[in-house]
Amino acid sequence: MESASAPEGFREGDPDAVRAVYLRYGRWVYAVAFRTLGSASLAEEAVQHTFVNAWRAAASLQPDRDMAPWLATIARNAALDIHRREARRPVLALSELDNHDRSGSVDDPSVESQFDIGAVREAIDALSDEERAVIRLAHFDGLSHAEVATRLGIPIGTVKSRSSRAHRHLARSLAHLRASDGTS
Amino acid sequence: MIDDELTDELRAMLADPATWVEPPPDLEDRVVGAVVADANQTSGNVSTLADARRRRSRWWLGAVAASAIVVVAVASVAVTRGDSHSGPFEAALTPTELASSASGTAVLDRTDSGWSIYLDATGLPRLDDGWFYQAWQQTNDGTLVPVGTFNEGSDVTLWAGVGPLTFPIFVITEEAADGNQDSSGRVVLTGPILATP
Repeated sequence: MESASAPEGFREGDPDAVRAVYLRYGRWVYAVAFRTLGSASLAEEAVQHTFVNAWRAAASLQPDRDMAPWLATIARNAALDIHRREARRPVLALSELDNHDRSGSVDDPSVESQFDIGAVREAIDALSDEERAVIRLAHFDGLSHAEVATRLGIPIGTVKSRSSRAHRHLARSLAHLRASDGTS
Repeated sequence: MIDDELTDELRAMLADPATWVEPPPDLEDRVVGAVVADANQTSGNVSTLADARRRRSRWWLGAVAASAIVVVAVASVAVTRGDSHSGPFEAALTPTELASSASGTAVLDRTDSGWSIYLDATGLPRLDDGWFYQAWQQTNDGTLVPVGTFNEGSDVTLWAGVGPLTFPIFVITEEAADGNQDSSGRVVLTGPILATP
């Protein structure tokens, strides 16, 4: 992930600086929270807690230090705290059960795995819209090249070329994950 | 292969809904509003050792007289403001670099005897043999009131004689049993105490 230091204004609680940090990391933190909690509403709460707690702890962050792993720790802890709180609730309305199915199965994911999901999210965001659409249909929806071509109304050759470019980009931008996993 | 350059782990993450979810557009404003409100409310927090040490020098100065003033002030403010939200209040605790893997929550409930605090913290190693953890509540201007000591952070019950509206910041420090009643300033966890919906 591209290194970024904490803006001084964030430490001061300046609204513009807080917004800039959210725009830089907000979707990333949301992905981490959603992965931990499996619920949109709880993830939103976790994101708010993450940024409030980050501001409160900002004095402990070295100015030249990358905020991403630091935020990953705070986001993970905020999400786990919410998960523990929800687990203590004795009664759930039937309408809430779907949202809590996944949160009940959380097994304290590592900071590293949470950091990785953020890195993947950033790499995908850096793709072009066309490439991102192909990657989503292929991996998230599980479609073949031919099915992706039909869905998007484009030639299968175009799907293959977009897919190839996107995978090269992902492999290159996420190489640090493979290196840290010891895979080739 | 469509994805022969990707590892199994990367493929799994690309198939994970968390990779593709989008936060609602209004979350940006909610986050900015929450941080700015907290910044306005708690300017002067004790998340750094240096800050804590600066406060330490002024905090225990003239301890008896200051304590009397604080007790009177807290009592009068608590009566006038009532700490009227009788609870529960909750603090989501954020670690400092002294305990970067720690986390926890403190839930405060008002009783006739005072504020009962249920603390559940993880990632804090047990302290004993002359060392212990101490919990505090702090005002926005840095005044600390001790609310109990413990060895391990899980399933701890503490008691406070001050309310979360007047002392809205929860702090946990490492302390040595050396007779010095001052805070060491070695903050391991801290967080704002907020009223729960």
